[in-house]
Amino acid sequence: MTGLAAAFAEAWDEVRIHKVRVIVSLIGVLIAVAAMTVITALGDMARQANAEHSERTSGRPATLSVNVWSETGMVAAEPVVTAYRELVERHSVGYASQVGYSENVMRFADGSEPISTIAVDPQYGEMHRIEPLHGRWFAAADADRLAPVLVVNEMFYQRLGAPDLRTNPTVVITGTRPVRATVIGVTRDAYEGEMPGAYLLTSHLDRWEIQGLYASTPTLELWVPPDSADQLTEVVRSDLVSRLGDDVQVEIYRADPEDFDVIDSQLQWVVRGVSVIALGMGALGLVNIALVTIKYRVREIGVRRSFGATSARVFFSVMMESVFATAVAGLAGVVLAVAIVKNVPIDELIGGAVTDVPEFPVGAAVQGLVAATVVGALAGILPATVAVRVKVIDAIRF
Amino acid sequence: MSLLELDGVGRTVVLPDGDLLEILRDVTFTIEEGEHVSIVGRSGSGKSTLLNLMGLLDTPTEGEYRLDGRPTAGLSQRHRAKLRGAGFGFVFQQFNLLPGRTAQENVAAPLLYSGGREFWRRRRLAEDMLGRVGLGDRADTMPEKLSGGEQQRVAIARSLIRRPRVILCDEPTGALDVQTGTEIMDLLDTVAAESGATLVTITHDTMVAARAHRHYRLDAGVLGPLDPAELAPARQVAAPRQVVAS
Repeated sequence: MTGLAAAFAEAWDEVRIHKVRVIVSLIGVLIAVAAMTVITALGDMARQANAEHSERTSGRPATLSVNVWSETGMVAAEPVVTAYRELVERHSVGYASQVGYSENVMRFADGSEPISTIAVDPQYGEMHRIEPLHGRWFAAADADRLAPVLVVNEMFYQRLGAPDLRTNPTVVITGTRPVRATVIGVTRDAYEGEMPGAYLLTSHLDRWEIQGLYASTPTLELWVPPDSADQLTEVVRSDLVSRLGDDVQVEIYRADPEDFDVIDSQLQWVVRGVSVIALGMGALGLVNIALVTIKYRVREIGVRRSFGATSARVFFSVMMESVFATAVAGLAGVVLAVAIVKNVPIDELIGGAVTDVPEFPVGAAVQGLVAATVVGALAGILPATVAVRVKVIDAIRF
Repeated sequence: MSLLELDGVGRTVVLPDGDLLEILRDVTFTIEEGEHVSIVGRSGSGKSTLLNLMGLLDTPTEGEYRLDGRPTAGLSQRHRAKLRGAGFGFVFQQFNLLPGRTAQENVAAPLLYSGGREFWRRRRLAEDMLGRVGLGDRADTMPEKLSGGEQQRVAIARSLIRRPRVILCDEPTGALDVQTGTEIMDLLDTVAAESGATLVTITHDTMVAARAHRHYRLDAGVLGPLDPAELAPARQVAAPRQVVAS
């Protein structure tokens, strides 16, 4: 126990005394660990942004998109909608939404124009991770409102003159029975220059006989556990075919990108690869300087042998110097990384599209610290071996 | 039973061209506990090699070296290192203080290799030892800020810190002026006598050698007695005032 403490004390003394050399040799390791941690944080952020973008456009894993069509012509919407509803109830799918794409002419203060609309159910917001910029997304209670409600995109909102939503701004949805709809929320544009668009509730379409410029059979989106997605696909298909008859085609596909995990895994490997290369470069610098300086320490090692230092002790001490030094450098690297991640608006740099900003990657910091220490041990083996081979007699030269 | 016994000890090395170089030949002598022995020889006579053998830093190629009556030939490197650390203190001509460390840290350094309480109390012990060699007020001074004599005092304090039974000195005054050299030898004699340690001094200075109880000459690797008539009278100076006898 005392021997171990003495070896640690000796190694720490060496680091303390040769701090300039240590600092110079460890800048590489420090930067590598900082880079490793920051890159991992960036990677996490990018992955989160990627995931959120993917979920906004295609739904969360696993989102099944159900389409019904016929080779002979358009399928009537009503039986399909009924079949959808019964399907959702029968299988107790917690998150499901009909999705109907169309266009409706809406009347603004300065005139009317066709607006892209998507008729959905309230759960669609959760399924697509929709976080309104202003106002709110649809709630279940909105179905009973006395006027239809809209959640619009930023372009639509600007078209309205960006009013305060607390004033319940309205827009008229024209048609055979024009109806005044209230705008309750504003979502971020999916891309720059997106045309004005609006979400409205499926239940309001029937209630206020809102008809789009073109009719389409709605699709159904189901958010299901990824593990059972394949199994449910078959169940849903056979269920709908049995209800709607053989003359309709039921197409079901995963709307969320199934290859996201692959991309995610590849991104992680890239991040790790860059980190390992950075750390390797730092280690090479460390070994280089350690080997050069050990030549200057031959006499010191010889003197220590005269004090009774065994070969094992010399080896351990020299290696521990490296371990201590890299551990300290790793810690400094992590501190630097924390400072960078906390003070640089990384999420804005990568597009500002992250809703749930990932926590600081503590795992990466720990990994960086451990990796630096391991690298220190590995990098210390070579100079330690050289130190042990020092001939005491040559070193001391009485 | 003698403390150190060399019986027909020889040391031969193989040169890079394959030739053999005989550094020591048939060295036979004994040293008793508490003795002061000096070995005089010119440069290249094998003095340092002999000191290395006695200090377990090297092994003889012929003959037998016994420590406390026990042969050292079969000892493992680890065992030799332990014996060396616990039993021998070295004083070098060039002081060989560890760079970047204060006088106190230098003196405490050997205690990194001793066990138990000595390690944990190393700073205190080093301070005490520096006080004994008259450098109590220079404990925090770096070696390069010390004079040659002070550096050698630190080296002596360091060689004594583990209370060795044998102090091996190689030209301890070689890098010092006459006056300082004499003071250092006085100090060595004093501290060795106080601690009961055996003092082995290797030197080419006959005045330094004259201070020993017994004297040897090493010439071309062969050890023989030194005629006392060849020795110059030992210089004596008053021990420095700050040296505290304890």
